[in-house]
Order: sequence, then C-alpha cells, then structure tokens
Amino acid sequence: MERRKARLAAAAIAVAASIVLAGCGGGNSASTSSGPVDISFWGWAKYDQAVALWNQSHPDIHVKWEGLPSGGSSGYDKMLTAAKAGTAPCLAQVGYETLPTFLAAGALRDITQYVKPQHDEFPDWVWKNVGVDGKAYAVPVDTGPMAMYYRADLFKNAGIPVPKTWQDFATAAAKVKAANPADRIMNLPTDPYLYSGFAWQAGAAWFGTKGDSWTVSMDSAANTEVASYWQGLFSQDLVTTYPASDASFYSALSKGQIWAEVGAVWEASLIRDNAGDSSGKWAVAPMPRWGTTDAVGNSGGSSTAVMKDCKYPKEATEFAMWMSTNTDSVSNLIATGGLFPASKSGLANSALDKPQDYYGGQPIYQLFRDESAKVNPNWQWGPVMNDTAAALGDGLGKVHTKGGTFQDALSGAQKASVSALQTQGFTVAK
Amino acid sequence: MTSRGPPWYAAPANPSTDGVTVSSVTIGRRRRLRELRRAAPFVLPFVLLFIVVYLIPTGYSIAQSLFKEQRSGLGLGGAQTVFAGFGNYLRAFQDSAFIGSLGRVAFIGVIQVPVMLGLALFFALLLDSRVTTPGRRFFRIAYFLPYGLPGVIAALVWSFLYAPTLSPVTRLLSSVGVHVSFVSDAALPFSIMNILTWAWTGYNTILIFAALQAIPEETMEAAALDGCSGWKAALLIKVPLVRPALLLTLVFSIIGTFQLYNEPVTMKAVAPNLESTYTPMMAALRALSANDFNYAAAQSVVLGALICVLSVLVFRFSAKRVDE
Repeated sequence: MERRKARLAAAAIAVAASIVLAGCGGGNSASTSSGPVDISFWGWAKYDQAVALWNQSHPDIHVKWEGLPSGGSSGYDKMLTAAKAGTAPCLAQVGYETLPTFLAAGALRDITQYVKPQHDEFPDWVWKNVGVDGKAYAVPVDTGPMAMYYRADLFKNAGIPVPKTWQDFATAAAKVKAANPADRIMNLPTDPYLYSGFAWQAGAAWFGTKGDSWTVSMDSAANTEVASYWQGLFSQDLVTTYPASDASFYSALSKGQIWAEVGAVWEASLIRDNAGDSSGKWAVAPMPRWGTTDAVGNSGGSSTAVMKDCKYPKEATEFAMWMSTNTDSVSNLIATGGLFPASKSGLANSALDKPQDYYGGQPIYQLFRDESAKVNPNWQWGPVMNDTAAALGDGLGKVHTKGGTFQDALSGAQKASVSALQTQGFTVAK
Repeated sequence: MTSRGPPWYAAPANPSTDGVTVSSVTIGRRRRLRELRRAAPFVLPFVLLFIVVYLIPTGYSIAQSLFKEQRSGLGLGGAQTVFAGFGNYLRAFQDSAFIGSLGRVAFIGVIQVPVMLGLALFFALLLDSRVTTPGRRFFRIAYFLPYGLPGVIAALVWSFLYAPTLSPVTRLLSSVGVHVSFVSDAALPFSIMNILTWAWTGYNTILIFAALQAIPEETMEAAALDGCSGWKAALLIKVPLVRPALLLTLVFSIIGTFQLYNEPVTMKAVAPNLESTYTPMMAALRALSANDFNYAAAQSVVLGALICVLSVLVFRFSAKRVDE
C-alpha cells in the first residue's frame, strides 16, 4: 500500500513538473515575460569574460558558461553524446569544419529567421561555413585567414626577396637551403586542418552538394596540383618534417632553422609564445598566391551554434550575435583569447590596429583584416570530417617516413570519406 | 543449486526432534532465506555496482551494436536508428584497419607479455632469496615505482626519449655513427613494448613476490633437507607453488595489452606515422568521435568477447595442467 502511495506521489510530481516546464518553454514570445531566461553555453575558448559582460547588461537573459576540453580533444564527443541523450546545452562552440557533422547528427537548430536581419554583419564566405544551402545554424565568432610569418632578418641578410607567389616560394626555398644547408624555409604541413587551408586557397574543393547528394573531390585535379607542390618541396629536401605543433618544431623556429611558416592568424600567438628567443625578428606578409589569383586560404575559426533542444533559440541567437559583434565583447575576446573576429563590426575594432612587438612592431592584424576579405568564398566542409581528417592525418603522417605521398594521403582520405558517407546512409553523387 | 544452503554450511543432523511437524524442506528454505538476509549487506554493494557499472553498460553496448543510423540525401536533419542485425559485426570483420589493430596488439602481447612476466618472476625470486634480505625494502619499492607513475606521464617522458629530433639517446647514438629511429613503422611496436615492460614489470613482481612470501617455511626447509636449494629449489619448488599468481598476472597482462590505448595515443605527438586506428580501442574511439556510435559499440563488443575468450582459455588450459 505504502509503495503504491509513493508511486502515485511521484507521478503527481512528475506531471506537475512537466506542466511547469512546458509553461516556461512554451513559445518564444511568451518566454521573455516569465522571469529571466536561462541559456547554457558549452565551449573551450576564453569566452567566460564576454559572457559575464552580457550577464551584467542583460538581466533578463542569463547565460551560463561551462568550459570543456577543446573540441578535437573530447569536447565535440561530449556535445554530440549530450545531444543524443537529450541533455545538450542551448549553445555550443562549434568549429566550422565540424558544423556539418553536427548537422548530420541532427544536433543543431535552424536559426536563419533570427539572423536574417543581421546578414550583412558577416562576409558571405563566413555564412557559408555555418550552414548548408543558404540556411544558418550558428553565429560566426572568429575566422582563421592565412598569411606568411617569416624571419625578416634572415631573408634580408641572405638577400632573398619575400615570396609573393608559390612559384617564388619554391625558388626562395632553394635559396634558403643554399644560404645555410642546415636551414629550411618551412615545415611540411602534415596537420590535416592546416593542409586544408592550402587546398581552400587553391579552390581545390573537398566536399560539395549536388542537389540532394554530397560530392567528394579530394582526388580532383586541383587537389593533385596542391599535393604535388608540397610533395615536390619534400622530395627536393627543401622543407623540415617535424610533427605538427610539436616542441621540436617550435624549437627549430626559435633557433632560426625554419625561416617561415604559412599559417592561420591564430598561429601568431603560438609562434610568439613558443619561439620567444627570436622575438622582434619576425614579420608577416600575405600568403603566397597561386599565379595571379588573388585568393587566400582559411584554417580554423568557430561559431556559436544553437543546439536542437534549446528552448529559447531567439534569445540564444540574440546573445550569440551580441558576443560576436558588440564592441566591448569583441575587444575582450581579442584581448583575452587572441581571437580574430569574423564580424564586420568586429574587424573594425581598434584593438586590431595595435603594433605587435614580437613582430618587430608591425600591426600584423591590419594585414589579416585586409586578407580576410580575400578568402576564397567557395569552400564547403563535409559531414564526416572526423573520418576525413583522421584518414588524411594518417596518410600525411607517413609522408616524412616515405611510407606514402601527399597524393596517397588524399586518395586514402577520399576513399575513407566516401565509405563513411555511404555506411552512415548519406547519398553520394559520383 | 539443489543443495540446501551454501556448500560450506554443514546442516545440523536432525531438525525434527522437538515434536513440531515441519518438513525439513521448509526449514531449509527458511534457513537459507535467513542466511541470505544476513549476507546481503556484505554482498549487495558489490552486486549493485557490478550490475550498474558492468552488466548494464555491457548489455547496452550489445543492444547498440545491433542498430545503425539511416539517413537520406544530404542527411542534415539527423538520422533514424534502424535495426541492423549483425551488420555492424560483418563490417568490423571486413574492416582491414580494425582487424589490423587486433593483429597488432596480438603481436605486441605475444612478445611483450612473456618477456615482462619472465623478468617479473626473476625479480620476485631475487627479492625472495636470502641474498637480497638487506636491501629488500629498497628494491621492492624501486621495482614498484614505475607503476606508481600515471601511464600517460610515463608515455610522455618516453616519447621525449624516442622523438627523433629531441631524443638524447638518438643524438648520442648518431654521434658514434649509429642512426636509429624509435618511431619508424617497424620500430613502433617495440618502442611501445618497452614502455609497457618498464611500467608493469614491477607491478607483476610484487604480485608474484607476495605469493612467494606465502610459501610455508617448512616446505623450503624440507626441500633443503632433501638437498634441493638455491636456483634449483626456486625453479622446481617455488615456481610451481606460485602458479596461481603467475596465471593471474598472465590474464591481467593479456587484458591490458588488448586494451592498449594511453601509450600509442601519447606517442602519436612524436610519431605522426602512428595511425589513428593503431589499437582496437583507438579504432573504436575513432568511430565514436565520427558519430558512428553503433559501429563503435560493435567494435567494443568484439574486443570484449575476444578478451573474455582468451581469459577463459588461459584458465582452462592451466586448470587442466594442475589436474594432471
């Protein structure tokens, strides 16, 4: 008898709770009137102070920030698992490369209607990274336009002109080796996401959509061209082969054994913090171009995505838009997280005009601001990037031991991506 | 379970002498119930934890492994979960990367486990012999110390010793004209075996040593009277007596090798040629992060079943030898 009573009581509580909860979540317009709205936000970048700023000025929409390990480490695993279990937060930090994976998992919410009024805040190529087919599922935060970091002193002393095209770069590579046989111009880009920036610049698409199906073109002629360029530098022994972002790589940078690094804007602080010995000797130049095509690559960048079970998508989007565009917020993100803003108002932030001591007093972010407008607008990430990147990384990791070539790595990634798409039930166009 | 009460319980001879007519079966049942009630507080915590952290997850994984996700077209609205039967298992057995990873850990185990257990037995016998009595405490701690270090940290330190450009070892060797790489495709399994041996030999030594300490003094005295002492006594008397401990360490080691994860993942930073599917655990985790939950579950079940079968085989094999 007692047990039965307890069960009845529990059921009554559950019913009452569900009514209360439903009342809170019912409709977007009604929610603002019923007390402060709670929005949970998971991510790993230094967003906590920007969130605190918002909470101070917006008492009716409370954002609760929760730090995670970075996406690639296990953050995405946690978000996707939570989405599957129905315990996902309202907002999540999602990198552009992973956004289609989240879409394919059904983890995101279409917020096109909420962001439409502020469409002009972001360049078109950035919008293309937070959705497919003109729809938006996230608000962009930062981008990773690429440029060339180089040792101004070494290039000058050796009388080697700063390369403007990839043709120049190969010529310069040979001259660097001639100037000092122990030195090389650059480290081989074997990290799959760094390498993707070179393919991006060249317009060598990896994924695309054709009607209702996906296309994979990692073994296309355009990709082969980029691959054989790097394979060529490697075969002629013109590049170093340190593991990507390993201590040995930064040690070589610091000692002046590597003269340049073509990489994303966020590498500026990595080089500064890990190669302190060569402070003041570095400078930044535009990314070398393919012939006369004035296009730049992008590597990295992330967005604030609205997850599918979010009860207040409108308010969540409002916050995300504020974080990416509000001057105080963007200033904070630049100062604490070293983020390079994606929004046009963020790009106008005066913090980006500051001269950088490590780079010989050059205001390097002004250059990145100009270059970010030239990022190739035709890049599409695929929905199985975890498989793609793992297969490509496995292949590229074998280049330095001569266990394979760049071309082999791309063919392997092509095969792995198509097979992953097919086994997970996506339609793949031939 | 046809006996009344647990096997160690001896029932009183005649329960029906006090004139009350109760059948002996009822008494037995009552007694059993009473005993169960008494034992419950001791057994329940284990049983509950066993169910919650072992049986339920295992059952859940097996259930998950029988389904797959179905999408259509661009598949952007999420997926439907449909029954797949043994489809994921078929896929696992046709997946050359997964099969390769199983072969790799088997290769590592076949070489590393005997070497490590041989060393552990040797060290344990040394510790147990009279020769080392003075420094026994020191050596016992010294052998055990590597086990106290978290596996990831140990792997990290070893990585620095292996890294082609940072390693003092390779630099020293190349200064005398010997050029070796500890992270080439061919060397990698052996580099991993080395870390495993370094980390786990001490642990196994202590397990075997504890068993050696339990051998009664009289046994060894009797052996000495019969003229058997020194290494002969160690091999002919001590080793057979610690067979159960050796068996235990063998099973633990087999399980550990098949679950290899920390060392290769940590070493990947200095060895980019180490594939993301190097071991079965890495392969399952890669499927997991690729959102392929059901396939990851199937891989985990295959791995678990394989370990289970191997453990049972080891126990069976050794039990037979004890009987002979």
